[in-house]
Amino acid sequence: MHIPDAFLPLWQSAIYWIVALVLIALALKWAKNELSEDKIPLVAVLSAGIFAIQAFNLPVAMGTSGHLVGGALAAIVLGSPYAAVFILTLVLIIQGIIFGDGGLTTMGVNILNMGVIGGFVGFYEYKTLSGAGLNRYASAGIVAWLACVIAAIAASLEMAIAGTFPLVPGLIAMGTYHVAIGVIEGIITAAAIYFIATARPDLLAENVTTEAAA
Amino acid sequence: MIEHLATIERDAQGTSRVHQLDARVKILITFAAIISMVAMPYSTAIYPLAICWFGLFIVWWIFSDLSPRVFFWRYLMTLPFGMFIIIFQIFFKNPYYDVFTPIITLPFGISIFAESVEFATILALKFTACIIWVILLSSTTPMEDLLQGARRLGLPSVMALSLGMMIRYLFVFAEMYANINDALAVRHFNAFSRALSYHYRLKILAYTIGMMFLRSYEQGERTYIAMLCRGYGKDAYEHLEKKRLNGRDYSLIMSMVTIFCVTSTAVFLFWV
Repeated sequence: MHIPDAFLPLWQSAIYWIVALVLIALALKWAKNELSEDKIPLVAVLSAGIFAIQAFNLPVAMGTSGHLVGGALAAIVLGSPYAAVFILTLVLIIQGIIFGDGGLTTMGVNILNMGVIGGFVGFYEYKTLSGAGLNRYASAGIVAWLACVIAAIAASLEMAIAGTFPLVPGLIAMGTYHVAIGVIEGIITAAAIYFIATARPDLLAENVTTEAAA
Repeated sequence: MIEHLATIERDAQGTSRVHQLDARVKILITFAAIISMVAMPYSTAIYPLAICWFGLFIVWWIFSDLSPRVFFWRYLMTLPFGMFIIIFQIFFKNPYYDVFTPIITLPFGISIFAESVEFATILALKFTACIIWVILLSSTTPMEDLLQGARRLGLPSVMALSLGMMIRYLFVFAEMYANINDALAVRHFNAFSRALSYHYRLKILAYTIGMMFLRSYEQGERTYIAMLCRGYGKDAYEHLEKKRLNGRDYSLIMSMVTIFCVTSTAVFLFWV
């Protein structure tokens, strides 16, 4: 899902960068307001954690594998879509500059796909579903699946607009593949939230908010 | 990917002339090389331009005293997603050509087009001509230097702080990842083994990820408290020591940026 340099024309990359920069600015505002001394390790560890879980190759089908995105997980744990934008920006900077995974001119579009879509779909859908009475872990699983699939579809659309991969085969390849990866992302996200809620409930933002309200 | 972190960082700790350059110089040169290559339209003009970029890169790599093996290993790591798209190009028409000439016709109405092969080659060259500069940058600049360079170029301090912490934790995670992988291997757990039920494999992987997160968080929390005790805080990158670039740095940046701009403009004017 990491679109590399040269796969989008420069002017399109610039447009995606401008949109991404607006959202990064909002994420920075969130970070300046919310990142207290005690939350810094959590954000840094979540960034490193998402980087690490993207390193885990998960079996999909027919011998293929994929990795998690983690945007929904970050948004749910820290209780803000901007947290996901902030964290995925950090992850994509390291991946793009140290490992050459993704690109520098395409970092804006990758931040939009994985951080913005992952974070906003993840956070607001999670609030909607859990607000509607659905179990917390089922909600987390569903929104993680949805965020993964929508991000993959967005990547297909962007490459089709750029003319570097046709729309229908792109949607079939990326869409089908990520529908499967999304299921795994959903299960892993739900399990990770369950694990954190059981072992360290104080780390989940919604628990902190509920306790404060009580 | 994460398991290669230590190797990349070790290569970046060299003492060559390229290693010793200020990180800002290398960051700016990398951006200039990539932006000028990406700015070139998808056409055969990429061929001479890519050759120029490869030539320049080879000179830089020689001065970095790093082995060609390091480069090829790093290059192979970047290939999977990009190469998947490049290889599949040959079967599709694209908006950059008007006429498509089939050179091989396969069953199920699939054809390989001459123009699509050309486009795939252009894409592969463009991709490679960009990624080589990222490989040079990360192979010759330690992560902490990169971070300080980026901060001096205007990266917000809150982002520099979080990146700095993240880099520290990445090494914790890399070690944790290796330990957990070893523990799974010792127990003969294979995530791709069909002898185990799919549900069981996913459950183990989910618990592994959760466990890795919590163990690293707790280790990170302890480390951060220790760092606070030594005077490190959330304003650590707010007041980074000022470091001016010297005349040699400026002239190197200016000459490389000029070479990139003049070469790509000349190729665009006389080739496209």
